[in-house]
Amino acid sequence: MSVRRFLLRRLVLVVPILLGITFLTFMLVRIGEQSPVAMLGGPMADQATFAIIEEELGLDRPFFVQFGIYLGKLVQGDLGDSWQSSERVADEIRNRLPASLELLIFSVLLGALIGVPVGLRSAQRPNGLFDQVSRFVSLFGFSVPTYWIALMSIFVFFFLLRWSPPPMGRLNIMSFPPPRLTGSYFIDSIVSGNWSTAWSALGHLTLPVILFSIIVAAPIIKHTRAIALEVLSSDYARAQGLRPKTVRRIALRNAIVPILTFIGTELTGLLAAVSLLELIFAWGGLGQWGLNAILLGDFAAVQGYVLVLAVFSVSIFVVIDLLVLVLEPRATLRS
Amino acid sequence: MTDVSLTGTALSGFSWRGRIFGIARRSPTFAIGFAIVAAFALIAIFADIIAPFGPIETFSREVLIPPGAKFIFGADGNGMDVFSRVLHGARYAFGIAVPSAALMLVIGVPLGLIAGYKGGVLDEIVLRIMDVLRSFPSIVLALAVVAATGQSLVNVVLVIGFLDAPIFARLVRSEVLALRSSGFIESAVAAGNPTWRILFVHLMPNAIRGSTAMIAVRMAWAVRISATLAFIGVGIQAPTPEWGAMIRQGAEFIISGEWWVALFPGAALVGVVLGFNLLGDGLQDLLDPRRKATGK
Repeated sequence: MSVRRFLLRRLVLVVPILLGITFLTFMLVRIGEQSPVAMLGGPMADQATFAIIEEELGLDRPFFVQFGIYLGKLVQGDLGDSWQSSERVADEIRNRLPASLELLIFSVLLGALIGVPVGLRSAQRPNGLFDQVSRFVSLFGFSVPTYWIALMSIFVFFFLLRWSPPPMGRLNIMSFPPPRLTGSYFIDSIVSGNWSTAWSALGHLTLPVILFSIIVAAPIIKHTRAIALEVLSSDYARAQGLRPKTVRRIALRNAIVPILTFIGTELTGLLAAVSLLELIFAWGGLGQWGLNAILLGDFAAVQGYVLVLAVFSVSIFVVIDLLVLVLEPRATLRS
Repeated sequence: MTDVSLTGTALSGFSWRGRIFGIARRSPTFAIGFAIVAAFALIAIFADIIAPFGPIETFSREVLIPPGAKFIFGADGNGMDVFSRVLHGARYAFGIAVPSAALMLVIGVPLGLIAGYKGGVLDEIVLRIMDVLRSFPSIVLALAVVAATGQSLVNVVLVIGFLDAPIFARLVRSEVLALRSSGFIESAVAAGNPTWRILFVHLMPNAIRGSTAMIAVRMAWAVRISATLAFIGVGIQAPTPEWGAMIRQGAEFIISGEWWVALFPGAALVGVVLGFNLLGDGLQDLLDPRRKATGK
């Protein structure tokens, strides 16, 4: 199977999944108690006003007609309008996604930089002291709620020590956002040579990135250890009669692909997980916006948000498959 | 409690008496996890007796008092004793984890059994639902469903149970696929057993063994996600002494330095979740020593 056919096949398999998710979201927001009609109408509105609003939003039509219209617009790239901000959902997503990705990418890089070496080191002497400690730390990372550890560290690093800027946004109020290139304030202000803005952006990034990288690193430690243990215990590495150190090097090279695969899979859930941290640090990213949309019953916004998450995770799975193909010569193209 | 029955399954084939120290030596992780969970279970049962005050008893003159002699964990913004509230919070943790774990099994196990044994259309449907749920971040789904269906304890349990059922369906299904053509199933069929009997009497006891550790892990997740929902403001609401809701109350005082309102419920939450996770890890060690502490 050629790479192109492989990609095409994946794409065909992806469509029903995305369709299922879109339908599920579409249904879920509509069976809810929150209704945009009641919120837009306000407490003083009468039945007639409600009816007018309902008609304007198209909510008076049968469910499947609404879904059909939504799908029709969706294939043209129109995600509808948010009734809360009256902005186009597609624009809102485009404006907010970079903020979330900035947080996510820096955290995943840091988390992998911590997690992979710790996991490898743990696997070298299973049940040794280092292994015991790192296993416990990793389980702790699994168990600690992001929002709680964020609140605690805001107390320590902002309130007590004054090392960290107030947990409100991505820049201090004196700085203006740099011209948009990548969407990351930190990278953009370095590129445009605006050092004070870069410094401010870095200051605001540090605490949330460190916190999130702990959450990211926990499963990476666990899985890297497991993968490395499996590779190290396999016979082919030892059978060559080489020194233990050389065996380790050869074995670990074989662990790279599964580790990368795992980090990729982990990424898919993190775009949603980062939303709680965004909420606490008033980050203004996609996650915070999506959470608010869910709480307010902003139909089009919730649908757009969930769709972005789904597309994100689905495309990561495809990228992983391709990456494995490149890194692992033995892998063949299977579905 | 559930943890006791878990141990029972884990150690079938062992003589139960006199083995406790043996288990503790074989998997300290399991022993520590079990101790933590058992301690919190006792707290949940005896919360009324241990707690010095009622969980929603207010002392209107003693608002935001730091930890001290009267309120050992301090008092919150409503003048309620944080210590008593944290103790009562354990009831909500178990009150959510135990029934939702039961629901996951009640839905997931039969689905997995039937899907694996019968195959065909039903198997295909279960697999597709798994695909959709896998691409759907659980926190978002839980949030959307709870926000949609209304904020009550029962709804939270139902949502968590339904969301996690496919995990067990998949685990059981893969076990059934491996067992389906084995000798004892074939002889059961040949002996004329009805399908339901093959599924629930012959297959089920063998197929759920692999799910034991996962139950503890998913209970940890249930405690966590229900607290997260309460923290975001859906699900259980203040002044109910639920840990997530209490952290939410404490969040507004963090910047002004009243740390105790959020610290203690969060610490208790970490304790229970860590306990369940250790239990799950330890169970995996005990059940499958070859794959020590691997897996998800």
